[in-house]
Amino acid sequence: MIWYIARRIIYLIPTLLIISVIAFAVIQLPPGDFLASLISKAEETVDQAQVDALRERYGLDEPIYVQYWKWISGIITRGDFGDSFEWNRPVSDLIWERLGLTMVISLFTLAFVWIVAIPIGIYSAVKKYTIGDYLVTIIGFIGLAIPNFLLALVLMYIAFRYFGQSVGGLFSPEYIEADWSLERALDLLSHLWLPVIILGTAGTAALIRVMRANLLDELSKLYVDAARARGLSELKLLFKYPVRVALNPLVSAMAWVFPALVSGSAITSIVLNLQTTGPLLYRSLQAQDMYLAGSLILLVSVLTIIGTLISDILLAWIDPRIQLQ
Amino acid sequence: MQPTHTRLDAATDEALLEVKDVKTHFFTDEGIVKAVEGVNLSLKRGQTLCVVGESGCGKSVTARSILRIVPPPGEIVSGEILFRQRDGSAIDLAKLNPKGREIREIRGGEISMIFQEPMSSLSPVHTIGSQIMEAILLHLPVTKQEARKRAVSMLDLVGIPRPSETLDAYSFELSGGMRQRAMIAIALACEPQLLIADEPTTALDVTTQANILDLIADLQQQSGMSVLFITHDLGVVAEIADEVIVMYLGRDVESGDVDAIFHDPKHPYTRALLQSIPRYDSRDNKRLYSIKGTVPHPFDRPTGCPFHPRCDDFIPEQCNRVDPQRIFLSGDHSVRCLLYPTAASHSPDEELAT
Amino acid sequence: MNSATTRRPADDHAEAAAETRIVVANQWQLIWWKFRKHRLAMFAGLVTLLLYAVALFAEFIAPYAAGTYSATHTFLPPQNIQLFQQTDAGWRFYPHVYGHKVQVDPESFKRTYVVDEEITYPVGLFVRGEEYELWGLFTLDLHLIGAAQYGDPVHLIGTDRLGRDVLSRAIYGTRVSMSVGLVGVGLSLVLGIILGGISGYYGGLIDNLIQRVIEILRSLPTIPLWMGLSAAIPLTWPPVRVYFAITVLLSLIGWTALAREVRGRFLSLKTEDFVIAARLDGVRELQIILRHMVPSMTSHIIASVTLAIPGMILAETALSFLGIGLRPPVVSWGVLLQEAQNVRSIATAPWLLFPGLAVVVSVLAMNFLGDGLRDAADPYQT
Repeated sequence: MIWYIARRIIYLIPTLLIISVIAFAVIQLPPGDFLASLISKAEETVDQAQVDALRERYGLDEPIYVQYWKWISGIITRGDFGDSFEWNRPVSDLIWERLGLTMVISLFTLAFVWIVAIPIGIYSAVKKYTIGDYLVTIIGFIGLAIPNFLLALVLMYIAFRYFGQSVGGLFSPEYIEADWSLERALDLLSHLWLPVIILGTAGTAALIRVMRANLLDELSKLYVDAARARGLSELKLLFKYPVRVALNPLVSAMAWVFPALVSGSAITSIVLNLQTTGPLLYRSLQAQDMYLAGSLILLVSVLTIIGTLISDILLAWIDPRIQLQ
Repeated sequence: MQPTHTRLDAATDEALLEVKDVKTHFFTDEGIVKAVEGVNLSLKRGQTLCVVGESGCGKSVTARSILRIVPPPGEIVSGEILFRQRDGSAIDLAKLNPKGREIREIRGGEISMIFQEPMSSLSPVHTIGSQIMEAILLHLPVTKQEARKRAVSMLDLVGIPRPSETLDAYSFELSGGMRQRAMIAIALACEPQLLIADEPTTALDVTTQANILDLIADLQQQSGMSVLFITHDLGVVAEIADEVIVMYLGRDVESGDVDAIFHDPKHPYTRALLQSIPRYDSRDNKRLYSIKGTVPHPFDRPTGCPFHPRCDDFIPEQCNRVDPQRIFLSGDHSVRCLLYPTAASHSPDEELAT
Repeated sequence: MNSATTRRPADDHAEAAAETRIVVANQWQLIWWKFRKHRLAMFAGLVTLLLYAVALFAEFIAPYAAGTYSATHTFLPPQNIQLFQQTDAGWRFYPHVYGHKVQVDPESFKRTYVVDEEITYPVGLFVRGEEYELWGLFTLDLHLIGAAQYGDPVHLIGTDRLGRDVLSRAIYGTRVSMSVGLVGVGLSLVLGIILGGISGYYGGLIDNLIQRVIEILRSLPTIPLWMGLSAAIPLTWPPVRVYFAITVLLSLIGWTALAREVRGRFLSLKTEDFVIAARLDGVRELQIILRHMVPSMTSHIIASVTLAIPGMILAETALSFLGIGLRPPVVSWGVLLQEAQNVRSIATAPWLLFPGLAVVVSVLAMNFLGDGLRDAADPYQT
């Protein structure tokens, strides 16, 4: 097991490298020197000495690989992601809480998706070709077809039109800037349900289909008949054998469900005005605040990759066949 | 629900299992597949009954019908499956609720089954031990420790080396022969009266086949259980059977003791099967005999005798109209064929109506 | 088979007939037979065809051009078509919509429309309206549906903040949104087949490498990445170039699923007897791939392509919705949904969400279609 984990972690290194290159490319993509955009945005005239200092710090006069090296080594050794020009603060000041909230939303959604999708998937497979199964299938397809942001808009409209409430945000106004406390955490929980449902819909629909297909495959396997021939009751049989085996691909499905959640949360958060990485990334891209944007893309990608790693380890833990390979 | 207790016929008082005219049909969207269309068999204590026939003739469905594990959309539509319990009373398995407690107590406790593919009949994510102990704990009043001890001794009994280590092994860590031994250990853990073996050696290589057959024979001698052995390998039948049933398209076309079937086969299908065994001692260099045609599609079940389109002794206007009834030639040697007109057959009109 | 002589002619005849039927049906016919049984997928296929027809004939089907605006009819609510009119002589068939009166709230100065049943505008099929050029070839003024009298304000789904017809714009949006999916998947398919084919056919080190790359790409959060990359598209680029840049971006990440499918098929086909037989016969590698392997995986690839298009449509819609994908004056469903970006504008004009309905219907139809195709792709499996 330890060897397996070690191997997976070694595999991560090239992945992280590629991600950092992509994130750096995003920083470099906009035309022109970003210092130029800094100067053009600054309200007062910028001190030439300050500009030179920045030029030196990011190695702007040096070849591109030196710039990359300065950027990545700053992140790894000092946790220095550069400065946000729009906010005029170090990037690292801005991102951690939002990254944390992104994680909270994604994890809650993941839990929601599993809790809803697994029982429905089991029901749908066991009651194959009944009205209930067809209903679940059709609702699932519709859930897959509605873009997150559209669902967010529609739910917001319904809340506004029929309940006179403006939903959105992750905190009540009085808690937005407050320090963390139990009250703030509870306030967060009371706001979390809407984004979790919106984000979870597509994933739930997808996982119901995966679970149903897996379980149908497993239900027709011989070991199920063998267990039945041993005198096991139908319910115990179902949960001990085929459901247990059908859960394995579901755990490995986490490897793509989690990135999709983080990905989807970007847009939903913009629509719902949540204090996560999505709106910050959106604003920074519009303002060409590239160090902030690049860092966000880097960190969100790293986060999803860690999620994938965890799902791999989890899978190896529950499925004894994996470690053997 | 009260179990349906019935007295067995006086003549077959010592029969452990008696199947009477069982029909199992599959109700698919495309139509009804009559997988088993009237099977009779009787198995005495301590004896081995072999069911032979080509693939798709309903052997496995017959076995599954006995244990009531026919997969949906299959259902037993008529017939009786009388099983004699340890207290001497007989119970009709065909009348039980397939998900009910009574049949579950019989499964694994009184009647066990092993399957064709040992690779897939063990769970891939559970240890061998958890599956044996599960069977033991279900049927015997023992603690977990006792169950584990019993499981080890069962693995030892079926000839698995280092039984206590194998107990914690997963099925993918064992070879095919070892897996089938493990399956046998699970099946016999609660000392059932009847073992149903559904082509247990088909997926194994030849030497392993012989080992498994010997093992089953040994265990049968030790415990005195009966064995219902399903196979398409006539060599195996000759080796282990006391009684034989030949099936074709869900019908028992001929049944009798092993000598009668091998030395005095009556049904053209039985004869054809026996002719298609390759022999070392055949003098002339003839081509190996093969039965003409193939088993018809289940929806195109021939009228009259189901074997008539492939039969060499086809009687025009008879075999394709009259459904032959089961007639007894001598003792328990029975056959369904119009070549043996001792029994009064039904009128053609009546048969065509079905 | 040497016993065939004992067979009676009648049986022979029947069997021969049965055999011909089986021989004549080739793989595609079998797939079609199996697909036809799948009612929902058949229906979804029809809807998909209809959507592409709308995209092809947008100018003809839409009552107005995408850019036609009317300053006097901004945020006009949808008008319901009334099929009959009550006159003194009784009911008569007269398809029409009611006109509107504008009321201004004396306090907030908010303009609201009130239905005025006194004014009726006749509606008809194949009416004369604005002139347009169909595919840049023919100049026509025939429209499938619209105001029977040219100039009447008939807006079946209402208008947006500039008084543009929402229905017409959604119909024009079909062209861009549906084709982005098609072009994007086309590009992904090229990448997917080449890389997946190499990976599955040669195996070994190359396979390992390509699989790693696919794994990395799949573990990335696509939307933030797309956001970053598409934000870099210069604002000065002409719309067509932006369109292609966006589809390239979508397919750069979208090819992985197709590559996986292709690789899986190659791996399983490689060990099939007919491929081995061809190799033992000395057929050249390229010939084996093109003549023997590709035909037997085409149906599966068509199914996965169909299932990949909705993802592309959703991605384009999302990016354009945020304003970092396609940009006006290009009309796509995502661009149209920009108008409905916040609750206030939706509360004023909920009909602006209509393009969202188009997205849902098209994605739903293509998912059902793809699902049915996937089931039918292997006609030998029951």
